[in-house]
Parts: sequence; C-alpha cells; structure tokens
Amino acid sequence: MKGRSYSLVAITFLIAAAPALAQQESPAGRIKVVSGTAYVVRSGGEVRAEVGQSVFVSDSLRTGDDGRIGVTFDDDTRLSLGPNSEVRLNEFRYAPAQGSVGLAMQFLRGVAMYVSGQIAKLAPDSVRLETPSAIVGVRGTSLAIQVVPE
Amino acid sequence: MVVAGLHTACAPFRSRTPQPKGQATVVLLPESDGSVGRATVSNASGTVELGTARASTRVAPGQAPQPVTEMSEADVTRLFGAAIAAQPPAPIHFTLFFRFDSEELTDDSRKLVADVQQSVKAYPAPQVTVIGHTDTIGTAASNVELGLRRANAVRVLLIDSGLDGSAVNVTSHGEATLLVPTADEVSEPRNRRVEITVR
Repeated sequence: MKGRSYSLVAITFLIAAAPALAQQESPAGRIKVVSGTAYVVRSGGEVRAEVGQSVFVSDSLRTGDDGRIGVTFDDDTRLSLGPNSEVRLNEFRYAPAQGSVGLAMQFLRGVAMYVSGQIAKLAPDSVRLETPSAIVGVRGTSLAIQVVPE
Repeated sequence: MVVAGLHTACAPFRSRTPQPKGQATVVLLPESDGSVGRATVSNASGTVELGTARASTRVAPGQAPQPVTEMSEADVTRLFGAAIAAQPPAPIHFTLFFRFDSEELTDDSRKLVADVQQSVKAYPAPQVTVIGHTDTIGTAASNVELGLRRANAVRVLLIDSGLDGSAVNVTSHGEATLLVPTADEVSEPRNRRVEITVR
C-alpha cells in the first residue's frame, strides 16, 4: 500500500472530485489461480494473466482452450473460469463505510463459478450477474454459469 | 413442447441438438459448509428461483427461463469441473486477543501466531487486512490509537514471517466495532483484539 500513501486531504479530494477515477485506480481483485492460456483484457489489449496480478473495473478475464483462471475480489467474492471463457467486470464498488457497494459481472461465454462475498451479504440487490439471455441475482450464493458463445 | 419438456426432464444436459447462441445455464452450488443460498434468474419474459442444491435452469435469448430441474453431480462436474477446480481458496479469518491497554498478545493468542504465519505463507499471492479493536475503557480517540498499535504489532509479526509489507493493510476501529456489545467504560477481554483476513 506504499504507492497509495497520499495525504488524507488528497484522498478526500480525489474521492470527492473524481469518484470514477478513484474507482479505476484501486484494484478490485487479484488473480490467485492460473493454468494454461489465460489473459486479462484491458483497454482492448490482452495481458497474459499471472498469479498476483491486479484486476480492475472494466477488465475482462479470458481463457483459451486449455486455460483456467481464478480471482478473489476485495470483498471476498470469488470468480473462476474454465476453458474458452470470458467474463467482464462491469462494476465493483466496496466502500461499506461510505454506503457504496455494488458488483456487476458480464458472463460472455464459456463456464464460470461465482462465490458471493461481502457485497452480496450487505446489499444483495446490488449484485448483478449478466448473461446474454438473463440476469442472475444472488442471496449469499455459490453458483455456476455456462454461456453458449454468440 | 410437451415432448421437449419430457426429454429435458430425462436428460437435461446431454442434448444433441445445437444449443442456441447466448443460452445460459445456471446451477446453484452448495456452500462449503453444506448450506445452499438462493438465486433468481430473470429476463423480460420471466423469472425462476433457485433455492436447493444443484437447482438449475436454462434460458435462451428472448425466452423465459425454463422450469427448474436438479442437475446431477456428474453433470455439474462434466460441465463446470474446470471452473470449479480454478476456484481460489476461501479467505481465512483469524482473531488474536490482547492484554488490557496493551499491544501485547494474551498467552493463548501467542500460541496461534505460528498458525497465522503458516497460513499466510501457504496462501497464493496473499493480501492481508489487519483491523485493531479495543474494549470501551478510555476515550474513543485513545482507543483508535490503541487499536492501531495492536494492528501494527500484528503487521510486524507477519512481515517477520516473510510477508511483503505492501501486502498488509492496517486499520483500527478502536471501540467502534465490539465483538461483545457492552456499555461504555466496560473492561471486556474479548473486545481487545485484532481481526486478520487473508485473501
């Protein structure tokens, strides 16, 4: 956390002035498991996924034929993907002290397992798991989703 | 559609017919403690609720979610085995207790330190959150400080065991988050603690 030791005033200013910016700057989660071909897609570019790498809002996780990837988010939410899969993190807000929590993931194709964390506990209605054909809402839940590629 | 319905009931997830693009299959999985949560699957055409182990539905674009069926364990493994295998380990929580007005661990908690250190070492790319707490003796402000001293004492123990300092996030709740609710100015050993989350 050394890189983030701004003064309190600066943090307050950032949060007050540019919530979107602050949200993009702090990682939402971290990659814990990788095998085979797995990428983080950020701003249109693919970065090879590695254990320990940060995941940010608007990143996608993408796997190849032999790929798997597992991520733990800051609120304890866990997400893992099997081969030929893609999930995009559309929203992640976890600032319970400020009353701001929310999670939205878009399941684009393939297979994935989701295990809910604190956000689903604090505000279940603020969790949206989106697929091309339906929205999944959760109440403290582990579930798996398969999406046939479009 | 009646025939299709019967077919679905007999062999829900082995259909040979090509699956519609964008079709989603959702299955509720039991938690690690055996309990089961709840989920809803909905779109403009309908909603179904999943509330039992391996309750499952399928939904094609533009159509209502199909009625809930139970997916067999074998089908869960066949469809989702790779994703399930890639699940990160669950976050681990520890609580260590402290002596009165001190950042010194109790004897019992001292014995747990090696466990905590070992768990952190074994965890993939660990991020550790350390939150210091106090009982309600003393002012709120002095207790925020005391909680922070406790949390920092734990941080030092973690760094001593080889954890990178940048992976530890230290905060204090002082007397604001009691484990055992008490009135103000009450000595309560169980509130003099540090909560550690490894994720």
